[in-house]
Order: sequence, then structure tokens, then C-alpha cells
Amino acid sequence: MQADELLVLVAKGDQKAFEDLYGLVSGPVFGLVRRVVRDPAQSEEVAQEVLLELWRSAARYDPGRGSALAWVLTLAHRRAVDRVRSARAAGEREMREAQRASGPAFDQVAEEVEAGLEREWVRRCLDRLTALQRQSVTLAYYDGYTYREVAERLSLPLGTVKTRMRDGLTRLRECLGGAV
Amino acid sequence: MTVLFRRSEMHSLAAPYALDALEPREHQRFEKHLKRCDSCAAEVRLLREDAVRLAWNTAAPAPAAMRNRVLMAVRTTPQEAAPGQTALGPQPHPRAAQQPLPGMRAQRPRPSRLHGLLSPLAATTAAAALVVAALFGVQASRTQDQLDQERTQAREIANILAAPDAAASAGQVANGQSINVVASASERAAVVTPAGLGRPTNGRVHQLWLMRPEVQPRSLGLFDGDTPLLATDLNPDATSLAVTVEPQGGSPQPTSAPVVQLALNSVGFGE
Repeated sequence: MQADELLVLVAKGDQKAFEDLYGLVSGPVFGLVRRVVRDPAQSEEVAQEVLLELWRSAARYDPGRGSALAWVLTLAHRRAVDRVRSARAAGEREMREAQRASGPAFDQVAEEVEAGLEREWVRRCLDRLTALQRQSVTLAYYDGYTYREVAERLSLPLGTVKTRMRDGLTRLRECLGGAV
Repeated sequence: MTVLFRRSEMHSLAAPYALDALEPREHQRFEKHLKRCDSCAAEVRLLREDAVRLAWNTAAPAPAAMRNRVLMAVRTTPQEAAPGQTALGPQPHPRAAQQPLPGMRAQRPRPSRLHGLLSPLAATTAAAALVVAALFGVQASRTQDQLDQERTQAREIANILAAPDAAASAGQVANGQSINVVASASERAAVVTPAGLGRPTNGRVHQLWLMRPEVQPRSLGLFDGDTPLLATDLNPDATSLAVTVEPQGGSPQPTSAPVVQLALNSVGFGE
């Protein structure tokens, strides 16, 4: 069964459907959270909370407004970003920066996982963006920075960052459109 | 209050919004704007889909132990009613009447409250912490006394879930009414969660009983909506749990046949 159908059953309290849904989305959820949060223990914590939140609030999913996986990953991303920001605010920033600086810029998480076609395409399409588009998008999405922080880090005006984000996402759409 | 953003400026926030890259106050303001702006909503939906594509290359296998923890936690976690569903609807969802859940709307303040709450639980398992998170995630604003009481209960629940012999079982009844149990024989305790019981009419209540051979049933308490009930001092020879419908305030002994009964042998009782 597809995640969309499962989520509808989960909203009715179907625990078996939740187990199946877990099988489908736990990898994408955990991977995305870890990409943003980095710290393995915290990533696990956030991923667990997200998965439990799926159970709790499955009724909020509206199949007319997009795929279930997109809904799930949007939720996971928001929680991951919340966590990484409060961790930064709590003064873990320096430590985290050090961790980041020591690792490869893009793909330290990916290596353990089989290289899928989609993975390959995202990378290819990111490569086709201009450097500023790519940095604006990835600093926000993968590293959890606000656009104001991105502007500061790239020494760009706010308006430029907002435009680069939009252009970057649009170009990604054009590039990835055929790869679904 | 001055208008802080012109319309076009507000519009330019769509991409940062889709990337979760707005500051909390901007985020709120933009969401408010979204409700009034249909074209923005359509654009945001599109940009969000684009952003989700960035997650395509991040999937990684979740730790194996996480599965059990989450599935265990799910058994004791009540669900939120569908948006817009109320008890007045033609076919009210069993949970709708019990959980207006104002607390659920406010997602953002949750982590900080949880933080203080979870720290004393550091010694217990992640599953336990999860359940506590779930319980408190759905609480509306309460008095300090109620909070303390709930916290104590949450901690006891956490202890049961963390017990090495904790086991789960779910009753299955044709009409969709059921209870889920996570029990520990060593702790002599169980967390009992109603599933689809709803609320009886005419102010009556669902009462939980411990059944033992050749002994009168013992009341374990009254269910309050879908909130899990903590049952302690369980006798090792207990054979089953039963739920009956009783007059307001409950009865000293069951006055009707159980609507749900669940054997306890699979969770380590009944020797």
C-alpha cells in the first residue's frame, strides 16, 4: 500500500497500517533529520518524535494537498530545523561548526546508503544551479539556517538571498521534473 | 500597529518559508498572510514540493531499535481528532469529543517545555521519554497541581515502559472498542490505553477492573477519554482486565457485563 492510503488508515487508529507506514517513511525521515541535526543521538530523538507525531496527528493529512511522503518530510524538516536552531541558540554553535568544517561539505551521510537514482539526480541538478543559488538553498534546507543567517554568512543583501532561494528552487524543479 | 511588510515583500518570503528559513515571528506573520492570499498558497505549495525534493538524497536506514520504541509508544499514545470534526457532527469520531487539544496547535513552544520534563528521565529508555512527550504534547493548559500530578504519572508510566520485561498486548473486539496494554510483571504495573471506547452516554463512565481467579474484581479506576490509565499493585495471579460501563463516579463492583476484556497471560501475568 502507498503511504497516502496508509496515512488515512493510521488516522483511524490502525496500528498495523502504522507499522507499514513506518517501514516506508522511517528511512527518509531519519536520513533527513540526521542531515540537518547531524548529532546521531539527537537525530534519533527528533526522528522518533516526528514518527510519533505522525501517529498522533495523521488526521491532519489532507490527500488533496499533496503526497503523504511530502507531508511527512515537511514535518520532519521543520522539527529538525527547530532542534538545530535551539541547539545553536543554546551555545552549541562552535562545536557544531567544528564538526561541520571537518566533514565533507555535502555528502557525509549519504555514503552508507545505496546510491539511488533520485539521489544522483538531486546532486546533478544542484550542480546546475549557480553557486549562490545552491548555497542559499542548501544552507537553509540542509543546515537549518534562516535566510537572514544565510545572508550574513554569504555577505549578501536579504533581498538577494530571497531571490536566489526562489530561483534555486524553481531551477531545481525544472531539472528534477523529469526524474520522478 | 504599522504594516511591517508590503505585499510584494510578503510575497518574497514564500521561498524562505518553503525552506523553513524564516524567523519565528516572520513565520507566523507569513502564515497569517497565507490564509488570505490564494495565489501565495498555491505558490508555497509548489515551492514546498521543490524543497522536499532536496530530501530525496538524504534517506538513511533508521536505527533498528528505534522501530520497537516507536511502535511501543504508539500503543499508549492517544490520537488527535481530524480538524473540524466536532462532537456535534453526524458521526462523531470516537476521539473528537474528548480532545479539543488546544495545546497541539502550538507546536513551537513544545520542545522547551519537554526539555525540562524529560531531563529527570534520562535514566529511562527513549520509549518512555517518547510517551511522556506524547502525553504532554496533548495536554491543554493545566494548573500546576494537575501538571505535577500528570508528571508523576508520566514518570511512573515511563518506568513501566522501561522495565526489561515490559510487554504489550491489544484487545480486539468486533465493534472497534478495545484497550491496549503495556505491562511489566516485575513492576506489577500496567499502562492501559482505551482505543475507540468513546464516552458512554448519560454521564456514565468506563471503569477498568482487574480480574483474578475466585476473587471479586478490583477497580483500577475510571477512564477519562483516551488518557491512559496507570494500574499499579497488580496481583501476579491476575488473569485479565475488563472494562464495564458504570454510573457516574463508578461502582464498587461491576454492574454490567464487560464491553472489553483482555487476557493478561501474554504479558507475564496469571501464574
